[in-house]
Amino acid sequence: MEMIKNFFKTFLLLELVKGMALTGRYFFARKITVQFPEEKTPQGFRFRGLHAQRRYASGEERCIGCKLCEAICPAMAINIEIAERADGTRRTTRYDIDLTKCIFCGFCEESCPVDAIVETRVLEYHGEKRGDLYYTKTMLLANGDKLEEQIAGDRAVDAKYR
Amino acid sequence: MINVEIDGKRVEIEAGRTVIEAAQLAGIYIPHFCYHKKLSIAASCRMCLVQVEKVPKPVPACATPVSDGMKVFTSSEMAVKAQQGVMEFLLINHPLDCPVCDQGGECQLQDLAVGYGATSSRYGEEKRVVLHKDIGPLVSAEEMSRCINCTRCVRFCQEIAGQMEMGQAFRGEHAEIMSFVGKTVDTELSGNMIDLCPVGALTSKPFRYTARNWELSRRKSVSPHDGLGTNLAVQVKNNRVMRVVPIENEEINECWLSDKDRFGYEGLNSGERLTRPMVKQNGKWQEVEWQVALEYAANALSQVASCAGATEVGALATPHSTLEELYLLQKLVRGLGSDNVDFRLRQADFSADGKRAGNHPHVNLPAEGEGANASSRVAGGEPRKFLPWLGMKVAEIGTSDRLLIVGSFLRKDHPLLAQRIRQAVKKGAQANLVHSADDDPLMKVANKAIVAPDAMANTLAQILKAMATEKQAATDASLKGIEVGGAAAAIARSLAGGERVAVLLGNFAQQHPQATQLQLLAQRIAELCGGKFGFLGEAANSVGGHLANALPGAEGMNAASMLAAPRKAYLLLHAEPELDCANSQQALSAMYAADLVVALSAYRHHAVDYANVLLPVAPFTETSGTFVSTEGRVQSFKGAVKPLGEARPAWKVLRVLGNLLNVAGFDHDSSEAVRDEVLGGMDIPAKLNNALQATTQPSALSPQPSGLQRVSDVPIYSADAIVRRAAALQKTRDAEEPRVAMRGDDLEKIGVSAGDRVKVTQGENSVGLVAAADDSLPPGVARVPAGHAATVGLGAMFGNVTVERA
Ligand code: SF4
Ligand code: SF4
Ligand code: SF4
Ligand code: FES
Repeated sequence: MEMIKNFFKTFLLLELVKGMALTGRYFFARKITVQFPEEKTPQGFRFRGLHAQRRYASGEERCIGCKLCEAICPAMAINIEIAERADGTRRTTRYDIDLTKCIFCGFCEESCPVDAIVETRVLEYHGEKRGDLYYTKTMLLANGDKLEEQIAGDRAVDAKYR
Repeated sequence: MINVEIDGKRVEIEAGRTVIEAAQLAGIYIPHFCYHKKLSIAASCRMCLVQVEKVPKPVPACATPVSDGMKVFTSSEMAVKAQQGVMEFLLINHPLDCPVCDQGGECQLQDLAVGYGATSSRYGEEKRVVLHKDIGPLVSAEEMSRCINCTRCVRFCQEIAGQMEMGQAFRGEHAEIMSFVGKTVDTELSGNMIDLCPVGALTSKPFRYTARNWELSRRKSVSPHDGLGTNLAVQVKNNRVMRVVPIENEEINECWLSDKDRFGYEGLNSGERLTRPMVKQNGKWQEVEWQVALEYAANALSQVASCAGATEVGALATPHSTLEELYLLQKLVRGLGSDNVDFRLRQADFSADGKRAGNHPHVNLPAEGEGANASSRVAGGEPRKFLPWLGMKVAEIGTSDRLLIVGSFLRKDHPLLAQRIRQAVKKGAQANLVHSADDDPLMKVANKAIVAPDAMANTLAQILKAMATEKQAATDASLKGIEVGGAAAAIARSLAGGERVAVLLGNFAQQHPQATQLQLLAQRIAELCGGKFGFLGEAANSVGGHLANALPGAEGMNAASMLAAPRKAYLLLHAEPELDCANSQQALSAMYAADLVVALSAYRHHAVDYANVLLPVAPFTETSGTFVSTEGRVQSFKGAVKPLGEARPAWKVLRVLGNLLNVAGFDHDSSEAVRDEVLGGMDIPAKLNNALQATTQPSALSPQPSGLQRVSDVPIYSADAIVRRAAALQKTRDAEEPRVAMRGDDLEKIGVSAGDRVKVTQGENSVGLVAAADDSLPPGVARVPAGHAATVGLGAMFGNVTVERA
């Protein structure tokens, strides 16, 4: 019985027809390929991309060097050194994130008591050399300065869920 | 002993103890802030509230004495509610910003808030603000709003440090912790307040905002400063020592650290560190490879030894060097054929050398001794070399009931031993002092005799004579003609009435030109009253140096004669001769006159001017080694960090020098191997013996009238190379520019008033200093500190000086 069934299956190229049917269905269906970079997918306001360090409206950097982000970072990508600034406040003298180590878990952002370190929606950054992805405090602050509006907007949307 | 039940666990405890101690015994933790086992009970924080059966209200565990059959509940509903309530009150005025607080991560309030507090605050009103205070360069009081008014710091100053330098002003919500208005906290134990403060109100100034405690690794070490052998935890990050905290050891430092031990680490990271070997060529320093420098040093040394004779080589090491370093140094020098090696750099009287062995010759000693050293006397056979030590365990000092402390700047030279004596005095012990300066030891002194240096031996002889009368013992001929003064008689009476007597010689007595005589007399006093006798060890290895035999034999020259008769070549181990030696000018001119000076040092110091080779060696945190404390405790430690730059452990440098000089027996491959070679099979307790074969010289007992005598202390933060470079310590009151202090009437005689600049002349040398009046000094003395850059221009630590208007 089994033998006869198999014979007809092979003889009538049933598998092939099934496969072709699937191909045919997709051939005529609506296309979803995104023509990156001309076209982009939609992004949520919680997207976790490139890091930035924020400032207050006064221009003062937010980060107080508490080292919580450094402590929580599971990839040990953050490297902070701190010192007392001339005005007696606690500040970082070095704040580096190694993006080749970072796993974009967002824990640093979560742990930060002053919303200083954030992950922005930016995902289009690259480095030509390995070292290019080692972000220093100046680079991170520059990111923050550039993207503050968007960062603040996203956080405002998120505020009621936090 | 009574029985108490805590959370259902039964414990047996002495009556009179408190519930919190019983809980500790039962292994149950009761949250607390103001309670500390070494401090008195304040019961002010109320965090320790517990429920006790048949008591209607919760009671503070720290202040409630146990009673038989008591049933305590630490986590019943009532107790938990009480604890939560207290925590809420504590947090009402407490800033909730742990992220900027330096205590974050090691904060008792933070921990207990998590464990016993609520998840959110109900308090929305304004919080109290307490302004920051400046209480000195060591302890930061920048964040006094965080203070929870537990008064641990206040009680510490009062009870442990001996002086009330902190206090609580105002009342109720306005209560503030502060030092006296405009005053800094100057105790040499101030750093302990940082450990005691359960919150971030008092923190370490040098460490402030530099690291978090969770990123520091903790390495065990031993203090290289005074002779106590304090146990340290060196905290390290990125191969740099970030701070030092105590390791509790009830037998040594209890839970305390002196500021010298705590803040001395800054000297390890000093910019003056030597990081590359250097050789001087044509008057210019050149950085070279280790191989080159070592070969240069070895060649030069062997050249001096073969041309001028090996006895032209002398080696000076500080007693802060490790046992291994001292041992290899003496082995190297002896391998070269010289016997000139010494580590007792500040000592002036070496007449005890070669006499530390065998029976005691004194006629007036009891034949079968109750004397401390009687039992360990050598009965014939080979003479054993004895070495000076504390004469007892450190802990025994705290249980003695009568003390005689001869020639010691106690608080500054031995901060933690002073603390132990202070506790003993509080428990009823009587402290008696014989000294040439009357610095307040911050404890009740029963009797004191403050006399000029040359009258010290006489004063001890008076005490001895009075003691003999008290004990109805015979006196020997040397004491004839001694007239017993009132102070001496009172001291003798005090000592004679004791059961556990300790007679201790301090640094000043050991550096005294009549040190041996002082020792003999003090020892006889101790023996007469059946007490113990000992030396307060000046440095970490004051005992270890003897074990390592880093001192001259019968033929060799000691630290003083090596400089008095300058050698052609010197080998310096950690030593800065002009600061570490008894006679700074003599040391300096000997260095300048020498053809060859090889300096093994962690620092770029004065040797830059006179040395030919500078070999960068590692300080104690960067090498493994051993210190033998003044009580004879052998403590080995490992390096906490890698040596800075190209510095290397000194034992390795000496080992290679030994190889290059073809000295046999330099094949150790670890410092442990060196240690085992020194100590292996050695019966250390048998060696720890102060017995001396010498007799009192009557001449020492009758001082001749002479001019103005110099009294020198080594300022606490000038005592060794590391603390000299500890930045914060150098800003304290104790590190102020030294002055020449004299009695007011002595100053008047030379027409000088306090604050004037004067010229101090000693022999052919003079320096300019500012005069200060100190009426507690004995007449006819000028107190001029030694070991400080400002007085390097002078000569010996003792002797005559003249002071005149500049
Ligand atoms: S970024 Fe935020 S969490 Fe990280 S150190 Fe700064 S303040 Fe702390
Ligand atoms: S003292 Fe303790 S609880 Fe208070 S802010 Fe500092 S870390 Fe937090
Ligand atoms: S400063 Fe610290 S130790 Fe002193 S009372 Fe306040 S909380 Fe207690
Ligand atoms: S610990 Fe008991 S009241 Fe503070």
